[in-house]
Amino acid sequence: MPDAALYTPTAIIGSELPRIDGPLKTSGTAMYAADYHFPHLVHGVPVTSTVAAGKIRSIDTSAAEKMPGVLLVITHDNVGPLFRMAPGGHDGRTSESRPPLEDDIVRYWGQYVAMVVAETIEQAQIAAHAIKVDYDPSSFNVSKVLDDSPTEELPLHTESKRGDAISAFASAPVKIDQTYVTPAETHNPMEMHATVAVWNNPKFTLYETTQGVMNHQHVMAETLGVPRENIQVITRFLGSGFGGKLFPWPHSALAAAAARQLNRPVKVSTNRQMMFQNVGHRPRTQQHMQFSATPDGKLVSLRHDYRNHTNLGDDIHENCGEATPFIYSVPNLLLTSALVRRNVGTPTPMRGPGAVPGLFAVESAMDELAIALKMDPVEFRLKNDTLTDESNGKPFSSRHLKECLQLGSEKFGWSKRNPKVGSMCKPGDPDVILGWGVAAASWGAGHGPCQASVALLNDGTARVSCGTQDVGTGTYTIFAQIVSDRTGIPIDKVRVVIGDSALPPGPTSGGSTCTATVLPAIAEATDNAIKVALATAATAKDSPFHGKKPDGLAFHEARVHLEDRPASTGTPYQQLLKMANIDAANGEGSTSALNSNPEARKYSTHSFGAQFIEVEWDPGIARLRVSRVVSVIDGGRMINKKTAENQILGAVVMGIGMGMLEETIYTPKTGQPLNSNYADYMVPTHADSPSIEVHFIEYPDPILGEYGARGIGEIGLAGVAPAITAAVYHATGVRVRELPVRIERLMQSTVQV
Amino acid sequence: MSDCRIQLTINGQQTSVEAPPMKRLLDVLREDLDLTGTKEGCGEGECGSCSVRMNGELVNSCMVPILQAHGAHIETVESLAIDAELHPLQKAFLECGGAQCGICTPGMLMAATHLIAHNPNPSLEQIREGLAGNLCRCTGFIKIFDSVITAAAMEGSRTHAR
Repeated sequence: MPDAALYTPTAIIGSELPRIDGPLKTSGTAMYAADYHFPHLVHGVPVTSTVAAGKIRSIDTSAAEKMPGVLLVITHDNVGPLFRMAPGGHDGRTSESRPPLEDDIVRYWGQYVAMVVAETIEQAQIAAHAIKVDYDPSSFNVSKVLDDSPTEELPLHTESKRGDAISAFASAPVKIDQTYVTPAETHNPMEMHATVAVWNNPKFTLYETTQGVMNHQHVMAETLGVPRENIQVITRFLGSGFGGKLFPWPHSALAAAAARQLNRPVKVSTNRQMMFQNVGHRPRTQQHMQFSATPDGKLVSLRHDYRNHTNLGDDIHENCGEATPFIYSVPNLLLTSALVRRNVGTPTPMRGPGAVPGLFAVESAMDELAIALKMDPVEFRLKNDTLTDESNGKPFSSRHLKECLQLGSEKFGWSKRNPKVGSMCKPGDPDVILGWGVAAASWGAGHGPCQASVALLNDGTARVSCGTQDVGTGTYTIFAQIVSDRTGIPIDKVRVVIGDSALPPGPTSGGSTCTATVLPAIAEATDNAIKVALATAATAKDSPFHGKKPDGLAFHEARVHLEDRPASTGTPYQQLLKMANIDAANGEGSTSALNSNPEARKYSTHSFGAQFIEVEWDPGIARLRVSRVVSVIDGGRMINKKTAENQILGAVVMGIGMGMLEETIYTPKTGQPLNSNYADYMVPTHADSPSIEVHFIEYPDPILGEYGARGIGEIGLAGVAPAITAAVYHATGVRVRELPVRIERLMQSTVQV
Repeated sequence: MSDCRIQLTINGQQTSVEAPPMKRLLDVLREDLDLTGTKEGCGEGECGSCSVRMNGELVNSCMVPILQAHGAHIETVESLAIDAELHPLQKAFLECGGAQCGICTPGMLMAATHLIAHNPNPSLEQIREGLAGNLCRCTGFIKIFDSVITAAAMEGSRTHAR
């Protein structure tokens, strides 16, 4: 175990406190970006390209410009200055580097080619239809087969290597050599992307759907060519993002550009079709796996070579080898990758980027190898578990994959599994075959830099503020919990102010790092505010502690008291502040990036988990359903068990979507993402939701901070899809190596009831 | 297209709006009446985020031209809480974790209100069916089932639901 101090929190940490923003959300009063209206607000509706590649010959805006209410038609001729991010900058990140309407080249179907701004949304929509764009189309490529050879421009990268995986594989006694494919997926948060841009020369206020108000500010400052202090980004509530709202998308710059030209507030909201085109997606991956083992089940070699598609202008790497180098003990390993260009919209991280599609391949290959070895797949994984990250020789700060697999087996009833394909029936229903599958899960853990402020106010409340945001996960609530934990101020008296780039710089909500990033800063800010309160108590004229040394005072249960006396003998802090005529005891705190901590650099930091899944296969009517899930998560300390469980449940169901339903289909005829709506791109519904048990193995990870919390937004999705396809194989005898599982593939099953 | 005058009752209050006849009820609620609790999730009648009750029926307000709502009684999420006292369904959604990111919640609450108004003690299967028109992308649905069951069990749920 790492040698770092853990702190013992009060009972509010780890409690099942309901989210503090629940009353606003359930009453419809929580304000999301598109809910903002201002006097004289006008509406922008983008026009999207109807070719996947080519050049714009001309845009005829004459009819649209004469239509009622139309104020402005923006094209690449008159968009005004919108800039690219300078290369090498590290303080602002975006996926689509090209500012909207930068040139007359079309690189993907649905790319913005113009925008109409009108007094009403209806007027803007009608006028957008009246824009006539004449294209000089060129050939395009949306091929699903990612066999393109590496080139000088897109070379093969060796990401990790040890031993000699190629010759070890050649001579190994038991081996698997297969290719696994994951499709393009669309994030599809229920809230569509929107920007309300208000220009008040020289300042922009942008009401945004973003997972990172600070990053959005930095990128938009460079895009619009204005100093950062002239951009304020507000996201009080976000209707989920799943990575799709990490980085700014072109509609945001279009809204700001129009607001600047018209000197009026402009709202631009994507529609559901644009959600498939203009705001990112998880790219398609193709992963060739060569795994080998000794006959008694010890891994000999892992070879993982993968491709992912990217767009025409950006090298977006889907890091499928995120977990490959360390998840199992193996002496010979080779991990390589390359990019493949396609005429598709811009890929961007989606929940568990890289690791989730990567683990589909890794864990599918592990299942196939276990079958080839005639070994139980849980036992096979246990046999190859390791407490050292063999890619760098560092110990894991806290790895309990073994316990996840063991607890999951017990809760699921794995010992009752008959490994023979098609051998298990649903109790009481002999027409339905059961399949049981398992997969391991992993996702990186870490934290970035952050600042936070805490004020203990003389009305008995506290205020905590930070330039981060709550994307739906529960960030508001954990802020209040930390302040309450350290001060004893009741949770309903802690006001949390986030979602504004004018606040002390806070993290993007991404990579499951937000919680671990904000906690140390809030804790330090609270402790510093407490110090001010104690100093006030020691100096205020009428204070019962007047003349005492502040070090002899303590702060508990919202009272200042003598350190050697119970809190109940103390004085409420607000009384002491009032005695001194002080409004608030203020404290600032900060977190530094994990990799700046020499102690942390000695360890490999990751979360782990295990997914156990049951499917029901009814061959008579060709119906497949995920019926039962046990998800065990090793994610450090849970700050709030209710919101944590919520995260895992939602992630597991998203995994059911990935496994069974979701694929963005680019038609080879036009390059259009064809199923760009909720009817044709199916996401899980109430009816698809199985019984799900979530278990947390709670080992606080001191390397991540004194609370020992790692993030859990993504780990719940990892391992779900390969556990589903393993279960499908167990039920049907059909191995699905290309997601999603489609019923027509299962028609090849020869299993009889 | 010239505007028309539409009379309707929103959350018990008689209202009159001037709007183009094909303007969506959703936009009239959100823009003209500042009732932004009702959310747009797709604009195509597929996701249920904009669910409201119209003359006692559950509808997607993105699919209702305002002309069709002339003379109608509309209930939105803003009608559920009375004098800031949350409706049992609202309480259950926040206690059980049925609301996470919150964007589908208003529509989900209206669908659940409609369900409980017709079936005060729904089974799990009836809840699945009753909420079939409402998508959620973040909760995994389990806590929404728990919320509806909890609300149905709460005393006063039946009388409170209108």
